[in-house]
Amino acid sequence: MSASDLLVATALAGTAASISGAIGSARVRINVSAVLTIAACACGLAVAVGVLHSHHGVALYTNRLIPLTGLSLALDPLGSLFVAITSVVGICAMVFRLGYEGHGLSSRTASSALPLFVTTMLFVPAAATVTTFLFLWELMAVTSLLLVLADHRHRPEVQKAAQWYAVMTQFGAACLLVGFVLLATRTGSQSFVTIAARAPHLAAWVRGSAFVLMVIGFGSKAGMVPLHVWLPRAHPEAPGPVSALMSAAMVNLGVYGIVRVGDGLLRGGPAWWWLLVMILGALSALFGSLHSATSRDLKRLLAYSTTDNVGLMLLGVGASGLFAATGHQGLALFALIAALLHVVFHAVFKGSLFLSASSVQQATGTRDLDSLGGLMRRMPVTGPIFLVAGLAISAMPALCGFVSEWLLLQAMLHGLPTTNAAIAVTMPIGVGVLALTGGLTAFTFVKAIGIGFLGQPRTEAAAGATEVRGSMWAGSGMLAALCLILGVAPWLVVPAVVDAARDATGIRASNPLTPGWQLGLSDIHGALAPGLLLVALALAGATVSLGRAALQRGAARRAEAWGCGRELQTARMEYTATSFGEPLTRVFDDVLSPSHDLDISHTAESRYYVEAATFHTALDDGFERRFYRPVAGALRRWGALARRVPNGSIHRYLAFGLVALIVVLVVVA
Amino acid sequence: MTGSPYAAALTLAVGSVLVCAITVLWVTSTRSVIRVVAIQGVALGLVAMILGIHLRDAGLIGAATVVLLVKGAAIPLLLGKASGTGTVHSRESRPIVNVPASLVASVFLIVLAFAAFRDVARFVGTTAGALVPVGVATLLIGFFALATRQRPLFQMAGLLMVDNGTALVAFLCTAGVPFLVEVGVSLDVLLGVTVLMVLTMRLRTEFGDVDLDELRELHD
Repeated sequence: MSASDLLVATALAGTAASISGAIGSARVRINVSAVLTIAACACGLAVAVGVLHSHHGVALYTNRLIPLTGLSLALDPLGSLFVAITSVVGICAMVFRLGYEGHGLSSRTASSALPLFVTTMLFVPAAATVTTFLFLWELMAVTSLLLVLADHRHRPEVQKAAQWYAVMTQFGAACLLVGFVLLATRTGSQSFVTIAARAPHLAAWVRGSAFVLMVIGFGSKAGMVPLHVWLPRAHPEAPGPVSALMSAAMVNLGVYGIVRVGDGLLRGGPAWWWLLVMILGALSALFGSLHSATSRDLKRLLAYSTTDNVGLMLLGVGASGLFAATGHQGLALFALIAALLHVVFHAVFKGSLFLSASSVQQATGTRDLDSLGGLMRRMPVTGPIFLVAGLAISAMPALCGFVSEWLLLQAMLHGLPTTNAAIAVTMPIGVGVLALTGGLTAFTFVKAIGIGFLGQPRTEAAAGATEVRGSMWAGSGMLAALCLILGVAPWLVVPAVVDAARDATGIRASNPLTPGWQLGLSDIHGALAPGLLLVALALAGATVSLGRAALQRGAARRAEAWGCGRELQTARMEYTATSFGEPLTRVFDDVLSPSHDLDISHTAESRYYVEAATFHTALDDGFERRFYRPVAGALRRWGALARRVPNGSIHRYLAFGLVALIVVLVVVA
Repeated sequence: MTGSPYAAALTLAVGSVLVCAITVLWVTSTRSVIRVVAIQGVALGLVAMILGIHLRDAGLIGAATVVLLVKGAAIPLLLGKASGTGTVHSRESRPIVNVPASLVASVFLIVLAFAAFRDVARFVGTTAGALVPVGVATLLIGFFALATRQRPLFQMAGLLMVDNGTALVAFLCTAGVPFLVEVGVSLDVLLGVTVLMVLTMRLRTEFGDVDLDELRELHD
């Protein structure tokens, strides 16, 4: 079976899954469509691995699906990397979906849209012409919107989230459309290969404006600040597998787009392009990590953390472009490898986190961390899975997050001893952002795990939680296992990422990473041996626990820790997510600007006695409040003004016609 | 342009159509407006007839006959029947743009039509082609009447001007549209006028008045 046959098989399996999602009883259609989608993902994975292994691209053309221009697909190493990521996340999300209940995902529309969504995501990185790309991109947007809306009958906030998502994604699509049209008309071709060949000869303003438009368009899909506002709304409201797919696979495609256009189609550009990308990335990383550290909704926290990680990816992509623009080819390749590696690893741990958070939501009926607690004991499989993925995202050694963030840090640190002013200024800032984000992420997941999974349950719902079905934890568990495997053996994916980065940038510099049991950095004189790290950590842990056991031998006094002499420790005495994040909220008061509402009612007899006190605190998105709401308000006022023009008078309408006719005649004359 | 009897007759007929259009803006009584519509219909029919005789085109002469019958006789008769004559209400008492201003506006519209269509006139090149802007001017003035007159009868007159202007352009540009098409268009207009008249009569019996501004109160 050739690679192009496999590609056709992917499409056919995806279509069959989508059709089967619309027929039969609920159980049958969920199972059949999930299994067929897994088959589609498996085919996609096989094609992608084949391309990455053989270095031979796959091309496919058909004019049966889109009239006039036809559908043109071509898979190169860069696209294959993203297809592989989507396939793996897709398989795990579909395994999870087999056991997932509720949230309207069992309806015919949703069961039919989900396979279509996964399949289009598999094909977006394979698009080889502008029309094919935009067609698939829109299909992906529409199906994901349908899936976000899956539960709209039961929760009104879903509609609001979907509105935000629809507006932002359409705005992004409009920017992409204009950008691509600009490139296609100026180069006289809509094929990516021809555009890439002719784009270097275009005028600087054309290239610049196309790039900025594309960054806005792809950034809105990637959840880049300030276009991220839909993400913390839509991801939490989407059904579990969908939120995992959106956060771990769809968001990546935004980064893919920026790499494909910036490095691939436009073949790199001046330093200011990449400085822009770096600034937006740094903003996203800081803003996302800050909000995820102070958020108390488990899935909202994860959504903000996605913005944070996208920021890190963009930081890497921007650094790579900046290095390339200033002539540091080796460093450019290295930074892009680090960024793409972070894309891979982020997909793995964020997929696992979102799936296990959905398990928690299904088991307890809530996402509010302040209502959870004590889940580690009650959900003995999901708890450790969340722990592993949480440690991975916090960049703990021997897990995958550490490898990519370490490489990103190395890339930026080693950009320091250059004479170029732009690099000399931005790289230290980038390193600082990376360090601060790392700290905040660790803080976030200490909170998520400590408040959500340890301690005592804070509500009846949390106390009554039981472990979810096997297929659900299998889905998130597979990804958590990948966190461990890739953390210890990153060389399993490093060659593929190196190929993708080389293919994207066209840089023929020697491979900066020597794969093996230790990752050697050939240009920079550094090395990372994740396996040794794991052994060292295990040894250290064993020493500490043995030492403690030795010291504690003998008389041991057992008492309630931090009990202060109390016998009873209740859930009301526990730290909550809000109180845990409170110091941070205070420190970053200017950025987060929390609103507090303290309402005290006194007894009727005396004002010195308080009857009840309610305290309400809310953190809303600063960009939403300061930018989007005024813009939306202005549009609404403009709309109200425009509504006054057609007042129902037939004379006015006739006059419009007459005036229009006269204007046309005046223009003609 | 006025060298031959054909050219003189054609120019006279076409000119009459335009004069009638301007007169519609001028007059305020129901009876006069119906009369003007009838005269314009006859003038339009004569334009077609003159062209038909000049080109020796039997189809065009047939079309001219139909136009004469429909626009010169049937439609004015219908209008007269529907409007009922002699009452105080039947005057166009307060148009949105008053009569002197309307006449000034019509001058501008005529200038605009000539400015915009001078290339077309030159392109067509015949005596008839040179008169194309007149048709456009008639159309514009009709549209203007449609947009600024309050009474349905006057608006209908405006609508008929628009239709006559279009027909005039068609006759002058292409020396006549095919007979069947012209007959179809004329009968369409007849049908439209009939429907509007029936509606007006129903409104009159229901509410006693058909001033659009007062009818708007029903909507509010």
